[in-house]
Amino acid sequence: MKNRLRVLRAERGWSQAELSDKLEVSRQTVNAIETGRYDPSLPLAFKIGRVFRHKIEEIFEE
Amino acid sequence: MHEQSGSIWKSMRTGTAGIGWFLSYVAVRAAVQSPQPFSRSALIAIVLLPVIPAAFFLFFFIRDMRRKDELERRIQLEALALAYPLILLLLLTLGLLDLVIDLNPEDWSYRHLGPFVILFYVIGLWFSTRRYR
Repeated sequence: MKNRLRVLRAERGWSQAELSDKLEVSRQTVNAIETGRYDPSLPLAFKIGRVFRHKIEEIFEE
Repeated sequence: MHEQSGSIWKSMRTGTAGIGWFLSYVAVRAAVQSPQPFSRSALIAIVLLPVIPAAFFLFFFIRDMRRKDELERRIQLEALALAYPLILLLLLTLGLLDLVIDLNPEDWSYRHLGPFVILFYVIGLWFSTRRYR
């Protein structure tokens, strides 16, 4: 699954550590999602959507 | 930051409990393998002593697992998914070998299997951590 997490994070000037704090996950998790090695659960995907103020489908795509 | 230092403290607590368990095992093993004046029932009680620090370790370890995020939990699950069949394979193979040859208890007793269990778990952890790095 592809995602725009890295782009959205860069737009806001956040580091992976800052984003991981906002999502309450580890930095490794943020990195794994950004690189497409890990697809987040639905609750985490919703949380990502809330943090970036986007719908899930605007961040993630098949 | 405060939360992170709390997390490190909790991990250290689990690590300390693990070291306590290991040291108690080593101490009990050394005690029962040396000439001692204890009765058989006292020796059984001594051998069961490491159960106490092990219970503390298990308690802290499970609390640590519950605090982990979903990827960290998946890594643990995948590590166990690799380690468990390997442990089963080792036990079944030793069981079969035991039917056809005499396994030397000085090389292949229960006490020799513990390090393999830890080794398989560490290998599983290494593989799954590497996968999501």
